[in-house]
Amino acid sequence: MAAVLASQRAQEEEFRWLLHDEVHAVLRQLQDILKEASLRFTLPGSGTEGPTKQENFILGSCGTDQVKGVLTLQGDALSQADVNLKMPRNNQLLHFAFREDKQWKLQQIQDARNHVSQAMYLLTNRDNSYQFKTGAEVLKLMDAVMLQLTRARNRLTTPATLTLPEIAASGLTRMFAPALPSDLLVNVYINLNKLCLTVYQLHALQPNSTKNFRPAGGAVLHSPGAMFEWGSQRLEVSHVHKVECVIPWLNDALVYFTVSLQLCQQLKDKISVFSSYWSYRPF
Amino acid sequence: MRPSLQAVALWGKKAPPHSITAIMITDDQQMIVTGSQEGQLCLWNLSPELKISAKELLFGHSASVTCLARARDFSKQPYVVSAYYHCSFRMTGEGWLLCCGEYQDVLIIDAKTLAVVHTFTSSQSPDWVTCMCIVHSMRIQEDSLLVVSVAGELKVWDLSSSINSIQEKQDVYEKESKFLESLNCQTIRFCTYTERLLLVVFSKCWKNSYPALSCAFVMGYINERKEPFYKVLFSGEVSGRITLWHIPDVPVSKFDGSPREIPITTTWTLQDNFDKHHTTSQSIIDHFSGFKDGAGTAVVTSSEYVPSLDKLICGCDDGTIIITQALNAAKAGLLEGDSLLKDSSPHKVLKGHHQSVTSLLYPHGLSSKLDQSWMVSGDQDSCVIWWDIFTEEILHKFFLEAGPVTSLLMSPEKFRVRGDQIICCVCSDHSVGLLHLEGKRCLLRARKHLFPVRMIKWHPIENFLIVGCADDSVYIWEIETGTLERHETGERARIILNCCDDSQLLKPESVLPVASETHKHKSVEQRSSSSYQLGPIPCPGLQVESSCKAADAKSFPRPFNVLPVKTKWSHVGFHILLFDLENLVELLLPTPLSGGDSSNSSYGSEILRRAKSTVEKKTITLKKNKTACGPLSTEAQAKPVSESLAQGDNTNKFSEENDGIKRQKKVKSSKKMHPKLSIKVDASLTIDTAKLFLSCLLPWGVDKELDHLCIKHLNILKLQGPVSLGLVSDEDHISLMLPGWDLCNTEMKRDDSRVNLFSGKVLDLSNKYIATLSNQLVIPRGLENNCYSLQESNTIVYLLSRLFLVNKLVNMPLELACGTDSSFKMESVHNKAKSPASDILNISSFYGYLRNGKNGSHVPEADLSLFKLISCWRDQSVQVTEAIQAVLLAEVQQHMKTLRKTPINSQPVSMAKNGNCEMMQNLPKMEWAEEIELQCIRSTLPLQTPVSPVNHDSNSNSANFQDAEDMPDRCVLEESESP
Repeated sequence: MAAVLASQRAQEEEFRWLLHDEVHAVLRQLQDILKEASLRFTLPGSGTEGPTKQENFILGSCGTDQVKGVLTLQGDALSQADVNLKMPRNNQLLHFAFREDKQWKLQQIQDARNHVSQAMYLLTNRDNSYQFKTGAEVLKLMDAVMLQLTRARNRLTTPATLTLPEIAASGLTRMFAPALPSDLLVNVYINLNKLCLTVYQLHALQPNSTKNFRPAGGAVLHSPGAMFEWGSQRLEVSHVHKVECVIPWLNDALVYFTVSLQLCQQLKDKISVFSSYWSYRPF
Repeated sequence: MRPSLQAVALWGKKAPPHSITAIMITDDQQMIVTGSQEGQLCLWNLSPELKISAKELLFGHSASVTCLARARDFSKQPYVVSAYYHCSFRMTGEGWLLCCGEYQDVLIIDAKTLAVVHTFTSSQSPDWVTCMCIVHSMRIQEDSLLVVSVAGELKVWDLSSSINSIQEKQDVYEKESKFLESLNCQTIRFCTYTERLLLVVFSKCWKNSYPALSCAFVMGYINERKEPFYKVLFSGEVSGRITLWHIPDVPVSKFDGSPREIPITTTWTLQDNFDKHHTTSQSIIDHFSGFKDGAGTAVVTSSEYVPSLDKLICGCDDGTIIITQALNAAKAGLLEGDSLLKDSSPHKVLKGHHQSVTSLLYPHGLSSKLDQSWMVSGDQDSCVIWWDIFTEEILHKFFLEAGPVTSLLMSPEKFRVRGDQIICCVCSDHSVGLLHLEGKRCLLRARKHLFPVRMIKWHPIENFLIVGCADDSVYIWEIETGTLERHETGERARIILNCCDDSQLLKPESVLPVASETHKHKSVEQRSSSSYQLGPIPCPGLQVESSCKAADAKSFPRPFNVLPVKTKWSHVGFHILLFDLENLVELLLPTPLSGGDSSNSSYGSEILRRAKSTVEKKTITLKKNKTACGPLSTEAQAKPVSESLAQGDNTNKFSEENDGIKRQKKVKSSKKMHPKLSIKVDASLTIDTAKLFLSCLLPWGVDKELDHLCIKHLNILKLQGPVSLGLVSDEDHISLMLPGWDLCNTEMKRDDSRVNLFSGKVLDLSNKYIATLSNQLVIPRGLENNCYSLQESNTIVYLLSRLFLVNKLVNMPLELACGTDSSFKMESVHNKAKSPASDILNISSFYGYLRNGKNGSHVPEADLSLFKLISCWRDQSVQVTEAIQAVLLAEVQQHMKTLRKTPINSQPVSMAKNGNCEMMQNLPKMEWAEEIELQCIRSTLPLQTPVSPVNHDSNSNSANFQDAEDMPDRCVLEESESP
């Protein structure tokens, strides 16, 4: 009986240590990692002097060189874009660029960055001076942080699935000067650590066409043959060009997300070991 | 609303955790609303003396509630709008919600449909919006929306002048924007008095004149200058505590001139409610564990309801498993003075675990081919025991050597190892074990998962176990060899999980805090990400249509169900009793006729079912109910015996003859069908369920004599204390009253003799109802049966059906209700088949029948006025529970009045057990109810029925529904025939 009591006391002691010391150590570690991650996103207005720095990315594909793009990223926005397209049939070279006065916000990066700062905000509210009273409290905090981190990661790993009319209606098509030719659609998105540019070449379907018209649903990347209705016209994708370029700091950020998610889970697991204690008495 | 489902919560001693994340006080300062991280909303009553008491808990959200907003104006009903993942603000006038959250700019959402109407977009640096407020300026007569973004940018949109462009879906850009030098804006408020100043509160620089408040988590301040209202500062904490400060109009200062600390006026938590009203919060097995060892009672850590046996299996923290008859346990927990019940209620205690029992599985509930006696339980120590619950012996003990078993699943029928289905154990250390019961062998121990297991899939052909984890990675295990075949993440993992959709999907809950609420959540996202097809779904009544395909045994509703609920992040659990009123009425209906003959009862319900199913395919729930009532109503046209008996008999005879002829015509056109399904429902169980339900609804102590009569004549028992009633919505959202809710009725004087009176309003309503009722000639009813117990059950059926009707009326969708009202006014909707009014009349006449026990051609005029009365209540935002209780009270009073006057007056009526006859009648006066048809499952006067009525009721029934177009013609025809 005494032995049982002793081991019980030892366990309680261990749990108290976990709650009062270990949890804070992990939270500090988490904060450090997330700070690194958020630095990668070069937050505007967070004390950086002058305008956010610009980075140029040359987008290409390993196969053909029909499309080449130079995109300039300024924080979470595309400030410049130069796209060269070699038309497949006549080898004619098309060039189009962003208007000087406009920027295109990459929503995925903005969201990911905001989710990270939300996660950090959750952690700063529970610094060393805060004393956790129950294990459930830690679990709740970890769940909230993990939710933000998972969303941040998912924002980067899952680009929006858009329908072709949505791409056509998007503000991106209006960013170019001179205006994009009507038989071209452009989409820019982040996929994992890569900045991707897709150019769709379209041709109109004849009204008397025998082809079975079936509008394509939403997709990250539409394939040739996808059809849609735009205005009064029925259009079909004839060629798809996709070029991409790795953004190194996005890669870092994703690694940080994974590491911190694992850290959170490990802390949750440690707390759960004592689950028979924490739910009944506060420490 | 799911009209027929009524819930009663059996709370334990511990309150469910409620970590407040949002708080709001209503404008009338009578209610506080809080949202919790667990996803529930709590309504707290705030008395004029500023005392707080929790009243109701609303289960709907599956994620943390982040914000609450008041919704008013666009409807008389007091809506509360809560939002998850985003904030919402009411916009005056148009019925829009303005939402901001983890997305760019501000969404405009239709307050009623919750569809996104439009967005306010920024031209300059769009970003997430953290807080906003609506500013109404008297000077410029313009409403504006003020917004602060995450990055600290203040923006202004015009509201009132942009309403048109929003409706036309034009882009609305901000009027102004200004960069504030700070991040993490908490809130923004406009000074309505000066119309010049704007208060912006940031987390880092927060000027706070009330020193007592610095640790509060969410708070608010309400400043009403009108007299009865107070200036109140309130805060809700993560611990679930609400604190109120009453701010004096004139600041009180200390001698040195510094402001004095304002004392806390009142503070309260959910647990306070539970502690204070301990008697009312009876956990379902308290009384068993109570006399088991006298000292501390065992806490239920897992439970499982087996509908087919009406058994409730509870695993406790001391390692015992208690198996009881669920209905008995519920009765013992709720009802008074039945010590006999408590002592004698059969229960078994299984001892085998040494640690708290964390999960249970009843395999037969999932696959009817499996042995009925098997039960599997897992404990904290990762020991899994295979039981025979009939002999109470341990068939085998498995030691998994892993973490606590969080869930036990069964492989689908088509997935077998050596001819047997296998058990899958998910443990809290993220490992998964596969057990082969018959072989008494552990097949696989999969331990490589880094994150909690979210999903289990079976690949029958390749013999793979596919495990999906919380980090969206996928592990594929080969069962034979026990090796990890593949590990995938990201896009590939997603494809793997999606591609084997054909194999059966079982999703265990992520971690041990199983939020059973999530399984009620309908959103697609939730469905794919959280558990809820978790093996044994404890609540077929809720789940049957949506998910529980594996359990064919549960594919029809049951009148009584127990739903065990566990709350997130804690071990606190409680049970919800679910009564399906509609099903109860259906099952009971034939019983009084045949004297509890169960074969007959299933036959009767079969008729209903068949009639229903013929139409069900294409109709929605409400229509379904309509059809369900349709056939019942047909036997109606109940004739209050108020008319002189002789005359009644004459008309009766006449109409019966008419019907006979008509029926003959009809029979020709109808095909013959045989009921194939037979549902075995224990008749006594059903009637017991009904009694318990009535006990829970009756307001006890209002009239002592009435109580006594109820106990004596209805043979029901008094409540120990007020019960926590609940409502279930169509989307399976549940609201539950909390212990101590009865103290919230401030208008009611506290009277200890009164137990379970929902509100003072009930008595009023009940009196109104009686007044309407007595406008017609009320006569003794339900007394013509010769058997005492028959009369008792007849009355119960009658009462239940009344309640069902009221429930349905009050819950009717608004547009339908409007239709009803107008048709009440118009009084003639001749050719409009299936008008709601006729629907109601259908129901009404059925109940009329029940009340009077005889059929005749009389039109229940009084019922009509009752419907009007009840429909009226709905408009006056009388709560459903109030309406139900009022009607129940009134009906019981009426009924018992007759009992008081006359001793049981046995009036021999020859009853033909299978005397089914069908008849069609019209309603001479009520032209608008042209659709009413009559069909009688039983005739009380078989001698007058010219045709031997044996086997054509069910088919003619369905025929009636199929040729609804013929109705008008038929009506005309009948009208000419009517006396």
